[in-house]
Amino acid sequence: MEGKVNHTVSCDCSETSVVLILFCSLTAEFDLAGDVTNVNRKCSAVTGSGRKLKDNAADWHNLMLRWEKLNDEGFTIASNIVNARRSSASVSPLCSGEAEGSSGDLVLGNSALREECEKLEDVVNKMAAIVAKMERLMASQRGLVDLEEFQFGPQGRKVPLFHGWNAKDFVSSCGLLLRSFTSELRLKRVLLREVAHCADRDLSLVYLSCWLHQPLVPARARLALEAVLLETGQRHLPG
Amino acid sequence: MTSLKLLSVDSSDRGSQRCRLGPGLMTALGLSVGSPVLVSLPRGSCLCIAWPRPDLAEGFLQVDMKCCSPYFLRHPPSRLTLDPEQVTLVPCPKLKGMKISVVVQSVEFKRNNSPRFVHELVKDMLKASLREMLQLPLLYPGTLGSLGVSCPKGVLLVGPPGVGKTQLVRKVVGEVGASLVVVRGPEVNCFQTLSTVSPIYLWIWMFQVVRSRPGESEEMLRGVFTQACAVAEEGPCVLFLDELDSLFPRRSGSSAPENRLVAQLLTLMDGVDRSDRFLVIGATNRPDSLDPALRRPGRFDREQVIIGPPTLRQRAAILSVLCEKMPVCSSVDLTELAQRTTGYVGSDLSALCREAAMHAMRENGSGEQTVALKHFLVALKLVRPSCLRSSLGRTDLAPVAWEQIGGLDDIKLKLRQSIEWPLMYPEAFSRLGLCRPRGVLLYGPPGCAKTTLVRAAASASNCTFLSVSGADLYSPYVGDSEKALSQLFRQARACAPCVLFLDEIDSVIGSRCNGQAPSSVQTRLLSVLLNEMDGVGLKTLERRGTQKILQVEGAEENQTAEQMSSQEVCNKDVMVVAATNRPDCLDSALLRPGRLDHILYVPPPDQQARLAILKVCTKSMPVAPDVCLEELVAGTDLYSGADLENLCKEAALLALEENMEASSIKHVHFLQSLKKTKPSLTVQQIQ
Amino acid sequence: MSKSALLTIHQALRRSFHSLENNQKLWKSVLAECIPLMASLENLAEQSRALSNVQISNTPLKDFPEVEELLRFKLSQAMDTVLCKLHENMASLQSLRDSLTNQVSTVVQLYEQNTDTLDLVTVTERSATIPSVVDMLEWLQDAERHYRQQFVRRKTLLHALSSGNLNFLATATKKWKELDTPGAEDQITDTLCKVSFFVESS
Repeated sequence: MEGKVNHTVSCDCSETSVVLILFCSLTAEFDLAGDVTNVNRKCSAVTGSGRKLKDNAADWHNLMLRWEKLNDEGFTIASNIVNARRSSASVSPLCSGEAEGSSGDLVLGNSALREECEKLEDVVNKMAAIVAKMERLMASQRGLVDLEEFQFGPQGRKVPLFHGWNAKDFVSSCGLLLRSFTSELRLKRVLLREVAHCADRDLSLVYLSCWLHQPLVPARARLALEAVLLETGQRHLPG
Repeated sequence: MTSLKLLSVDSSDRGSQRCRLGPGLMTALGLSVGSPVLVSLPRGSCLCIAWPRPDLAEGFLQVDMKCCSPYFLRHPPSRLTLDPEQVTLVPCPKLKGMKISVVVQSVEFKRNNSPRFVHELVKDMLKASLREMLQLPLLYPGTLGSLGVSCPKGVLLVGPPGVGKTQLVRKVVGEVGASLVVVRGPEVNCFQTLSTVSPIYLWIWMFQVVRSRPGESEEMLRGVFTQACAVAEEGPCVLFLDELDSLFPRRSGSSAPENRLVAQLLTLMDGVDRSDRFLVIGATNRPDSLDPALRRPGRFDREQVIIGPPTLRQRAAILSVLCEKMPVCSSVDLTELAQRTTGYVGSDLSALCREAAMHAMRENGSGEQTVALKHFLVALKLVRPSCLRSSLGRTDLAPVAWEQIGGLDDIKLKLRQSIEWPLMYPEAFSRLGLCRPRGVLLYGPPGCAKTTLVRAAASASNCTFLSVSGADLYSPYVGDSEKALSQLFRQARACAPCVLFLDEIDSVIGSRCNGQAPSSVQTRLLSVLLNEMDGVGLKTLERRGTQKILQVEGAEENQTAEQMSSQEVCNKDVMVVAATNRPDCLDSALLRPGRLDHILYVPPPDQQARLAILKVCTKSMPVAPDVCLEELVAGTDLYSGADLENLCKEAALLALEENMEASSIKHVHFLQSLKKTKPSLTVQQIQ
Repeated sequence: MSKSALLTIHQALRRSFHSLENNQKLWKSVLAECIPLMASLENLAEQSRALSNVQISNTPLKDFPEVEELLRFKLSQAMDTVLCKLHENMASLQSLRDSLTNQVSTVVQLYEQNTDTLDLVTVTERSATIPSVVDMLEWLQDAERHYRQQFVRRKTLLHALSSGNLNFLATATKKWKELDTPGAEDQITDTLCKVSFFVESS
């Protein structure tokens, strides 16, 4: 969790740091989750479907965490590419804020540009791997729904798994996450293809801000993850 | 004296409103540093504060034109020679009012900013200057001291919950501009500054004083005082301790942690220097449970501030404030509403208005939104006065109309005379020199509508109704029953005018002459009751506010206001109504004048009354035309009202037994029912 | 009598200068915190402007018709976060200003209560180490006026920025820095230097 907040676009730093803090607190809770002496014994002792759903929720969280890290990495690379493309032009508007970090990269040669592009491709491939894992998670959750239905009939079980959700609720929440990240991955692929070939100043800026702000992952996605974590008892209401 | 040469103002003085003069001239004119002066120039004048020149040279004058005649805005005066007499000291009259008009000069600023923002800015800028103008004893403790008045160090606010103690302090402190450090009892656990919320610059910090580890609470308390003292260095400071009783209860014998906390507070309060501009205000709703040492002089020595539940006029005033912002239907009479809300405190009234508005919204949807009287009436059922909360007595009474009681017309009239009239027309009673009855005793055989009669009287007079039966008061613990009884009276007084109904009084209150041990519960309860009825138990802190509020102009309004005030003054009492079916068991002291002096016998119904009762009972029943009530009346000697009601019910059930589709009750049914039921009264009872 | 009044007022002045010194430090640190925030604001405005200039349907992003709206939403959300932080900073500036105002008015009031015993000669008397009471009052008032004006100006600017006018936002940092008045700040530092002997002697 080394703080990777040195974006060229510095606007996001406050938000990111908040997210980072959340992540830190969450990992701490994960350590506890395996422990038998956890306060929330009721949840840690779950077996069967509950256990599986809980593990899945943790997986979702970890995958999203890795995605964020990759996104930060990718953004640094992408801004290097844009700046390299524009090295012939005057100082880019993106660097005016903190020129010292990227001024060295301004004079990237063609080979260096290719290298950066390869690095970015690598990042996108890793993101694709994450989405593939997310799909597998989703499949296992759908399977769980079928299992529940087989075991307890169409009405579902009498006693809720955790606090109130049934397996279907988990599928619908995680479905939102999967959909968001799948479409965001598509966008990332387009950005990977185009970002090195763009000569228009405004357009490349739009590419960069698309990469950074991930418009296809709605704020709702974060909430959905939090809801899943709360339901499975891995997150506690403050206070 | 030499003439003065007017020089242009130094750049560092720009905007400071200073008028630079030589110290010699200042002495000659009797000015001290900072005195307001008026500089008269040709074509206008300029208002400044006198300030000595940095080089102390005489013969020169520099004037900052922050406050001057409009002419100088465009033509700043220069190269003038003035006569010293053109500089005069301005007397300072007391500030009476202020009018501010804001001129926004930049068009761009006007376009980019809403008027509200400008308003906010101006308000913010004015606050600082306004505060300086407010002359307060808090700001000048020295002046107070020289007048021989000792500055109060602690004030204790006493009043039931919800009457607005906290609001009052906030308001006062906000007006004064003092800093406020709030310590609240149970709920707060964080340290926060709310200075952005406050009306005029005040600091609010909340602490949780009570901690689990020994010694920690005391440390917190010391921290609070240190903090407050630090704030007091900067300006006057008020330390407000809300819910004092929860933090500092009466010290008990053992070395409970609370004892140490009380001792710590005493030490801290004694340690506060009198010259400090530092005031401690405590608020509580249970003054009895406070440690008496806290109320000694030098600590919370000013406890005259007692906030009782609002009186009739105060309620009307509160309601009019609350309803100001609500689209209230013009037909709503706030005076009437105030009359119906005896015992409601400020927060109850605001809850009432909120509930009424909510109800109106639910009913009207998004359409026309006015709150009508019916919405208030519904809300009245939902929002009960908090004075009566957790009360022993039952307060939820279904209103009973006089018509619902058959017969007993002379008893009804007497009851109205003794309960309803004094409450409704107190001024008529005082006009004729009538003493209002203190208490009424109803006696008579059981089941003859004693309870129902009292209910009808209470609902007709719109006053609070507390009903207690003997079983409610009974407690196996020594002293508990007595405490419960006196608390009941305290609550009743808080909600006056109030009817306190003691049902089956003989079961709890004994008589001293029929062989009971003098120390039995019944005898002790009797003496409590006597004391309370004679007013011995009345505590000073239950006094109610009687200060005048501004009278509304206009003759008509005046009359209602007068009526209201006379009701307010006369209705401070609690009417005690007791019921028993064994009057011989009561102690004679209880029946003496001034106590339960109106004794009414509620007789078993005679023939006429029985007819009336049967009529009332069968009113809602489909009775076949062959039914002869008179015949029934003749056969129901010794039947009480309750028996008759039961008889009618039984007849209806019999009709149903015969045929589920029965649409009317025939005479046979009544006769059958008459055979089945037995009268509950006996001849001995009536004797 | 006049001696004791003078001592009291000297004590109050010392306290005020102490808090003025603290105030200046805190004020500067809060303003320094605002600079990167202003830069981010400007940057976000630049991104929004670029987004408006680009016709998404004519670019490789045309497969994502909703991306423009979503990105705009994300950008404005980020801007709100920054503005929120800035408003928080304004609140701390306000409390700094309020505390100084309070201090200064307390001292002035103290002086006004003692005008009978403190004649003009006493209050204008200065020595090599102790400036005159009048001078010190003047400096305090000047500093207080400076902070009052600064606060109102900055608050107004921030309010204008909150309206979301992109052209206006594009020059946020410049406008913010234009409000700096190094002269007045230096004046305060100067004042603090001048009274340093006085503050230390007690």
